[in-house]
Amino acid sequence: MKSYKIWDPLVRVFHWSLVAGFTANALILDDDSKIHEWVGYAIVALVLLRTLWGFVGPDSAQFTSFTPGKAEVIGQISDIATRRRRTHLGHSPLGALMIFNILASMLLIGLTGHLMTTDIFWGVEWVEEAHEVFVHWAELSIIAHIAAVLWESRRTGVNLPRAMITGVKSVPDDINLVR
Amino acid sequence: MIHANPNKPVALFALILIQAICVTFFLWDVLEDARPEGIGALANLHIAIEAMAALCLIAAVMFETRYLMTLLRRKSHLERQVSVAAGAFHDIIQGHFDRWKLTPAEQDVANFTIKGLSIPEIAALRGSAEGTVKSHLNGIYRKAGVTGRGALVGLLIEDLFETPLVKDNVLEVKQQA
Repeated sequence: MKSYKIWDPLVRVFHWSLVAGFTANALILDDDSKIHEWVGYAIVALVLLRTLWGFVGPDSAQFTSFTPGKAEVIGQISDIATRRRRTHLGHSPLGALMIFNILASMLLIGLTGHLMTTDIFWGVEWVEEAHEVFVHWAELSIIAHIAAVLWESRRTGVNLPRAMITGVKSVPDDINLVR
Repeated sequence: MIHANPNKPVALFALILIQAICVTFFLWDVLEDARPEGIGALANLHIAIEAMAALCLIAAVMFETRYLMTLLRRKSHLERQVSVAAGAFHDIIQGHFDRWKLTPAEQDVANFTIKGLSIPEIAALRGSAEGTVKSHLNGIYRKAGVTGRGALVGLLIEDLFETPLVKDNVLEVKQQA
């Protein structure tokens, strides 16, 4: 087992505050309450902060370091198809696609949610529908994300959830590492 | 198939993704429609047809996923060999693997061992422990009914002598191209 410090505090705090915020708004809080709006704005602020961090943050947080090409995406699926064990020190290609998907979904949920509070779009049906569709989409994405994290942790032997809490990835000795 | 378009897996992956999204949507729609009446809702012809269509799409997605995995395995086993003969030989080997019901991991190990790689080399390429490779090899030899690597390769070579490597129709396709 080798350990690599990989996730900086901002990335980790962002991840778990997004988990808390989205769970609260989607499952717990009353949709019509004022606090639902404020949690929503907080999530948008978090995503914008993460986006800025994606340009100025450390290497492992930078978008350019983990935006995958076609070959990398196919490479990761090939590893799964042949049961070859290769792990990425940063975000894996498929994981990176999910990050972009979730960040974009959060912004769209925030935008449609904000429109519902404006005079022009207040009570307009399609805005409300769009807000709900994006939320359902995000929920499905999150289920897929959790399933994929568990699957990849089992496949590669790297405990990914723990790495997102402690910031340290523990990588088995025999596995091949992609930096 | 042999000179496969490199974009093929990408397009297939995108198709699977889109169809999976459609499946989720249709399934959700069917469940919403059926919710008031439960399983009895299937007596309604419209809902029954919708449910059937959703199930067919699920079957299609599963089939495509299997095909994508086969395509990618083939691609990674033929990475540096693009000749017609290599492709045909690979198909013969693959036929044996399917008959022996080798798992994807065993197929990968078997391919490397036929190419003459040692256990430590295979372990390094696959990112696994040598013990794991050994247990895969044991599985391969047991399923193939041979005693070791020599006998395994012998079995495949024997087939090669009996089967024409380059099939006539492959040649015709090549000439037309």
